[in-house]
Amino acid sequence: MSTAKRQSTVPAGPKPPVNFSSTVTIPKDAVLQGTHSITIQSETLIHPRARLDSNLGSILVGRRSIVQERAQIGVEPQNIDAAVPGGVSLGDYVVVEVNAVIEAGGTEIGDGSVVQVGSRIGSGAKIGKDCTIAARATVAPGTVLPDQTVVLSNGQQRADKRLADARKLSTLKQINVVRKMIRNDQDKFK
Amino acid sequence: MASSPPYTYIQCPCSNEEPAEGSDASSPESDSFHDAERTFDPRAPRSNYSLYPLEYLLYCEECQQIRCPRCVDEEIVTYYCPNCLFEVASSNLRSDGNRCTRNCYQCPICSGPVQVGEVQAEPETNLLSADNATAAPHGPYALFCQYCSWVSSEIGLEFERASGIPSQLAKMKNGGIPRITAKELKERRKEDPDMPPLEDELVDAELQYSALRSFYQSQINGPSNGLPGGLSLGDGHNFSSPAALTRMMSMWQPGGRGAQGKTAGPPDVFPEATDTDKGLKLAQLDESAKVQKLLNGGWNETVSKDQLLGQLEHAHFQDELRPLQCVLRTKRSRRCAVCRHIISKPENKVASTRFKIKLVAKSYIPSISIRPLEPRAPPVPVGMRPQQPQEPPLKPLQPYQYILTFKNPLFEKLKVTLATPNNTPGRFSSKVALLCPQFDIDPVKDMWEDALDGDDRSRTEETGQAEAGKIYKRGRNWVSIILEVIPPLLSVDSLRPHTASGEPTDRSPLREDEKILEIPMFVRMEWEPEAQHDVGDRVGKDRNEGQKRELAYWCVLGVGQISHE
Repeated sequence: MSTAKRQSTVPAGPKPPVNFSSTVTIPKDAVLQGTHSITIQSETLIHPRARLDSNLGSILVGRRSIVQERAQIGVEPQNIDAAVPGGVSLGDYVVVEVNAVIEAGGTEIGDGSVVQVGSRIGSGAKIGKDCTIAARATVAPGTVLPDQTVVLSNGQQRADKRLADARKLSTLKQINVVRKMIRNDQDKFK
Repeated sequence: MASSPPYTYIQCPCSNEEPAEGSDASSPESDSFHDAERTFDPRAPRSNYSLYPLEYLLYCEECQQIRCPRCVDEEIVTYYCPNCLFEVASSNLRSDGNRCTRNCYQCPICSGPVQVGEVQAEPETNLLSADNATAAPHGPYALFCQYCSWVSSEIGLEFERASGIPSQLAKMKNGGIPRITAKELKERRKEDPDMPPLEDELVDAELQYSALRSFYQSQINGPSNGLPGGLSLGDGHNFSSPAALTRMMSMWQPGGRGAQGKTAGPPDVFPEATDTDKGLKLAQLDESAKVQKLLNGGWNETVSKDQLLGQLEHAHFQDELRPLQCVLRTKRSRRCAVCRHIISKPENKVASTRFKIKLVAKSYIPSISIRPLEPRAPPVPVGMRPQQPQEPPLKPLQPYQYILTFKNPLFEKLKVTLATPNNTPGRFSSKVALLCPQFDIDPVKDMWEDALDGDDRSRTEETGQAEAGKIYKRGRNWVSIILEVIPPLLSVDSLRPHTASGEPTDRSPLREDEKILEIPMFVRMEWEPEAQHDVGDRVGKDRNEGQKRELAYWCVLGVGQISHE
C-alpha cells in the first residue's frame, strides 16, 4: 500500500538558517528554502503550504502576522534585470492571504497591512502601515505607498480612514483560533 | 465573442430573410435562386451581426429553425435584487423605481456590496484580552465595504439603527447634515410665514425638483392658463376623447383658427420660476473652494467616470458620492419571433438557476470542432489546462490539414452534406478542399447498447488517414473528416491587376482581419424523425413515417492566422 503523497522529484534545496520565536506556529507542510536567514517573530502563524524563499535575501516576518496557504514570500522578481538584491521584511500584524506573491529585493510591508488573495507585490516596493492590497491587485516594483493606502485591483488608490486597531483585533482573533487547528512542527525546520 | 482560432461560428438564418414588404412578387424565384447560389462571406460587414458560437443559439421546434439572440423576443419573468435575492413585484417597480428598497447598498467607490456594521467608538486597547471581550455596545452603525475598505462614516453617514437604512439615508446628506425635505419646508413656512427662502447651498436636487414640480403643477391646474379651445394640459384624458381630437384638429388646420375665432385668448406661456420657493437655483460660479480642494487632494480625490455614472447627482469629489441602492435584475423568457412559441423559460424562483423550457441549438444541430491534424503547438501543461494551445501562424502557400469533428446530438441517424467554396471570398483567397463532404453520423445511443451491438457497423470506410472521399475517424455518435487548406500569400503586390469581372483590384494595404483564415461552410443535414410515441392514432403515425426533415445553414470555421512576413 503506497498511498503516500508523491514526492517531488526536484531535490530539495538547502535548509535555510532559521530563527523562530518559541511561540511561532508553523506546520511541517510549510516550505522554507534558500540560503539567507528566515526570522519569524513571536505569535506569528504560518499556514500549511506557505512558501518562504530566502535565496535572494533574508526574510523577516514580524509579530502576530499570518502567512496563509500557497502565499509565496521572497520569490524571484518577474523583471530580474531591474531587481535589486535584498530580501523581504514584513512588519507586525501583517496578513498575507492565499496565493499572494511578494517578490524579493528589499521589499517592505508595514505593520498591520493586509495583502489580499492573489495579489502581487513587486520587488523593492515599500508599503506603509495599515495598507490594504485588494484581491488580485498588483503593486509595481519600487512603489512607495503611504500609510493606510488601499490599492484596488484596477490600480486605483485611496486612503483608508478606518480605525486600524479593529483590524488588528480581528487578526489576533484569527491567530487564536487557527493556531489550535494547525499542528506546530518547528523542529523540522531547525 | 472574439476568440482565438480555431473556432466555429454559425450563421443564424434570420439575417438572410428578406423583410415581408420588401419581397417583390414579380421575381421571387430568381431572388431565392440567387440567394442560394451566393457564397456567404464571413468578412462582410453584415456578417458580424449574424455569426454566433453554437452555445449562444436556441432552436425553435415549431419552425424547425435556429434562433439567435436577434430573432427572439424577450419577456421579463421576474425582477429581483442581485444582493438579497428578493423578488420585487412589477407593481412595486412603478412606485419604487428599479432599485432595491431594502438594505442593499453598493459601495460608491468600487461598486462592491456594502454591509451594515457597528462603528466601534473606542478600540480596545488591551488586545491580549480579545477572547473575553464580549461587551454588547449598540453604537452607531455604518456601511462597510469589504473590498476597498470604504466606510460610510468617512463621509459622515452614521445610522442609529441597523435596519431601515433607506429611510435613514434619505434624511441625511453627506456629512451627516439633515436633509430638508419639501414637506418640512412647507410646515416651517406654515409656522412662520415671514421666513426668508432657503439659501441656495441648502437646496439639493430633490428639493429643487419638488419645488419646480409644485410650481408648474399649480400653473397647469390654474384656471386662467387653459389652452384655447377649452383644452387643459393637466388632465390627459381630454386628449383621448374624440371631441377633443376634433377640436385639436381644427386648431391646427390652416385657417381653422380664424374660423373658430378663438385666437383672441392669451398665448399659453408659462412664467418661469423666479425665486427659490418656486424652484430657482442659481449656478454656483464661485469654484475657488473646489480648486483649493483639488490642490490639496489631488487626482485621487476626484471621481472617476464609472463612479459618476451610478450617482443620481453630479459630484466632483469622492466625498460627494453617496452609497447606491442595488439595481434590480431580471429573469427573462424567450419566444420565437415568428411563431411565438416559448423557447426558453427560467423558473420563477429567484434562487433557482434551472429552466422550465430551454431549447438550445446544441441539442438539435451537430457541434463542429476543428483542430490541426499535426499540431505544431506544444501541449499545454496540466496545471494550466483550460488554456488552449496557441498554434503558430500558418505559412503561405503550404498545405495544412485539419480534423473537423461532427457530433450528433440527436437520437436519429444524421445525414450531413457539406459544401465550401474552392476559394474563400475576399482579396486573398485560400484554397479549400473537404476530403469527404458527405457522410452519416450515428445516433446517440446508450454506451451499453453500443458495446453489445458489436462491430456490425462498417468500420471499413474509416481510414485513420487523410484520403479523399473517406471518413478520417468514426465514433459512437461522431465523425471526423479532413479539411485541407492552402493559405494565400498576403502581399498586395502579388494580386492580379484585374478581377475576374474585369474591375481593377483593390490595392489598399493589408487590413487586419485579412490575416485571419476563415472558411465559410454550408452544412445541410437530413434526418428521419422517429414516429411520435404520444400520438396514438395510426394516421398520425403514417404521416410521420418516411417524412424527412432537413436543416441547412452557413457556418464559419476560424482556422488560424496567416503569417505575412
